[in-house]
Amino acid sequence: MRPVEPPFPIVEPADPSRAPGDALLAARLEQIWKSPPGLWGWLTTVDHKQIGRRYLVTSLMFLVVGGVEALLMRLQLIGPDRRLMSPEAYNQLFTMHGLTMIMWYAAPVLSGFSNFLVPLFIGARDMAFPRLNAFSYWMFLTSGLLLYGSVLFAQAPDSGWFAYVPLANRRWNAGTNMDFYTTAMTALTISTTAGAINFIVTIFKHRAPGMTPARMPLMLYSTGTMSFLAVLALPALTAACVFLELDRQWGTHFFDPRYGGDPLLWQHLFWFFGHPWVYIVFLPATGMVSMMVPVYARRPIVGHPIVAASTVLTGVVGMGVWVHHMFAVGMAQMAMSFFSAASMTISLFSTIQIFCWIATLWLGRPVRTTALLFVLGFIATFVVGGLSGVITAIIPFDWQVHDTYFVVAHLHYVLIGANVFPVFGAIYHWWPKFTGKMLRERVGKLSFWLMFVGFNLGFFPMHLSGILGMRRRVYTYLASDGLTTSNLLTSLGAFLLGIGVLITLVEMGRSLRAGDKALPNPWAGDTLEWATASPPASYGFVRIPTVKSLNPLWDEHDEFADPRNERALDDGRQTLSTSPIDAVPEAITKGDAETILPLLLALGIVGTFSALIARSLPAAFVAAGLVVALCAGWLWPESHRKKLEHGVEVR
Amino acid sequence: MNARPVSTPPAGDDELSGPLIRDLPPDKSRGSWAMALTITTEALLFVSLFFAYFYVGRLQQYWPTHTPKLKLALILLAILLTSSVTIYAAEHLVKKGAHGAARLLLILTILLGAAFMVVQVYEYVDHLKELTPRSNAYGSLFYVITSFHGLHVVAGLLMLIFVACLPELDPPDSPHKPLHNAALYWHFVDVVWVFVVGVLYVLPHWSRLP
Repeated sequence: MRPVEPPFPIVEPADPSRAPGDALLAARLEQIWKSPPGLWGWLTTVDHKQIGRRYLVTSLMFLVVGGVEALLMRLQLIGPDRRLMSPEAYNQLFTMHGLTMIMWYAAPVLSGFSNFLVPLFIGARDMAFPRLNAFSYWMFLTSGLLLYGSVLFAQAPDSGWFAYVPLANRRWNAGTNMDFYTTAMTALTISTTAGAINFIVTIFKHRAPGMTPARMPLMLYSTGTMSFLAVLALPALTAACVFLELDRQWGTHFFDPRYGGDPLLWQHLFWFFGHPWVYIVFLPATGMVSMMVPVYARRPIVGHPIVAASTVLTGVVGMGVWVHHMFAVGMAQMAMSFFSAASMTISLFSTIQIFCWIATLWLGRPVRTTALLFVLGFIATFVVGGLSGVITAIIPFDWQVHDTYFVVAHLHYVLIGANVFPVFGAIYHWWPKFTGKMLRERVGKLSFWLMFVGFNLGFFPMHLSGILGMRRRVYTYLASDGLTTSNLLTSLGAFLLGIGVLITLVEMGRSLRAGDKALPNPWAGDTLEWATASPPASYGFVRIPTVKSLNPLWDEHDEFADPRNERALDDGRQTLSTSPIDAVPEAITKGDAETILPLLLALGIVGTFSALIARSLPAAFVAAGLVVALCAGWLWPESHRKKLEHGVEVR
Repeated sequence: MNARPVSTPPAGDDELSGPLIRDLPPDKSRGSWAMALTITTEALLFVSLFFAYFYVGRLQQYWPTHTPKLKLALILLAILLTSSVTIYAAEHLVKKGAHGAARLLLILTILLGAAFMVVQVYEYVDHLKELTPRSNAYGSLFYVITSFHGLHVVAGLLMLIFVACLPELDPPDSPHKPLHNAALYWHFVDVVWVFVVGVLYVLPHWSRLP
């Protein structure tokens, strides 16, 4: 197959070593930044590019696992009255499917893209806290392993992904199923919070000189908003999980009305976290779309400030809509009206973004690549999901379809529409940058059409199943219920969707071995990541760039010109720190060296949680002590460590 | 189609003015940013806990079911507020270069924190005679809120002890400001206790119906 030609000539040569002497500088930076070889290097790396790729691969593995769980459920529901598995196994399957997809795929996959891309967008050499970044990844992986550890004991969580009490409480769920839930979820919040803090500081402190808010790529807005949501919303989940675990194991009464507790407390705390989480898995995806649309439309995005403001406002209003998950529990009319209105308001911000994307495509000259197809597929499915969302925000309608397959259809239109389609588009868009290899457009288009057709064939009839009265999470149904056809279609569509996903995954594997070599900027993109090599060198940019417009590679300014020879930053691992708003150079940040501590710390924390599941307090205390010691070692100033090791003054 | 210049750089956007970038000072602020964000997320944790307290109590005839004694809580408050002053003074002294005196004040802060924990345990022993975490939802909430705060005191103490063990309180080549960051966290722990005292101890005396 011939290499993909850039659709129009690239203005600036994307050769990282143009200036005389820069080749030497590049070699020197490579020495400074490269990871040590072998397994040790693999376990200790703090390079955001490696960590981003790892996030991507790991979360796609969770996508496959969650997908297989979904297909097993669809086999059970393909016809009436089937007995493919026990009802108990079915309960575990739908719970694990929800948890895996929402918590361990949808958000981490976006963290993967942001990890890899954010430092490149802003012209930094790494994230603000490289070691913390490695810790986020290991914590994400080990929390997922903790969750799936439950499967080894045939005790997977089985009360649904939102684990309503009293069903999730001890009285009705005496096994350790839900103990795995509370601990694995808490462990994941640690990973997500650490990652979010890292993104916020990176975006505020490390943007290239001149990258003012008006010149910030939109994915920075979405990643930043997502991170603030994580910082603000995740503690509610932690509190809820602590309450549940104490109720289950230590005899407290948070959720037990016989002792003055309140089951609705769980719902409030869970959804105070849960609804912002919907935006956590959605906003960065819209950010990726806002990055892809201008490249393929061949023009800058229409309404950059409006899209940016909509992104931030989605986050703000997204903190105040959680009660719309609870319209059916019985609440004051006034409170419900407020949340109903907020839920309808939030659709405005998404609508504004959609119109900006459409306007960009309308005014540009779109190039129909696979990535753009996925973007268009996203817009189509997301509009359907958004509309079914607006009508379920209307309380009487919500009461009609609450807890039916209509809601299942809605949430899959939103989550697959607004997460899976943009993510697959982003894979086709940034895969050349991630790996230096091209994916085949033809295969991608086949994959897209299978996914798009399969998805709509599968999930559209779900609306009908729901309106006909099919409850979500039912184990089976009777032939006389009139649900046979719609369920058959859903199952067929699900398998078609699965095949479409599989084609892309196989193509990704193939391209690593046999794919065409990618140019630095195969799509003639406009943002700074395309100015690096494909894949980027360990140090990213030879010289820290300066930025003069929203589309640095499409303007006449030379980002890498350095007449005063001041932006090489080659005295050890260094990156530039700039002021939070105007991005004026302020200081030089020291990078981190490779270390095994992040992995050990993640293992220590998950070890503590495992000991709690096993109800062994002494073991938990030992593991927690280890965590404290590791933290101290982590923070101990490097120069003092060297002094202690060598007995000499370093400075 | 050719790419075109998208916007012209605004006037005054000149990177050739100002100090040389390679001569800029080392960055020490990112750790404080991270600490501020950690405090934000921790603060929301306590917001969730207080929300639970008011939410569970909203429909009950008697809430709280027991009225906690004020005296020890106020003593604890005095201890923590004093420790906030001492750590602030320690930080001030480090800036002035009086490292020895600063270290003494830091150790005094740690002792005050330890005293807090001791009095807290004493208070628990007394309190547990009439109310346990298993008595009712109020007991569960009371002990979880106060012990969560206690855990934060322990975390803060560990940070302060770590800083006290550092060879220098303000290591010039450190990428962070260890004393400042630990002090930020310590102030946060103290402020949370103000809210705990206000909500759990004072408010019931104020508003409880007979």
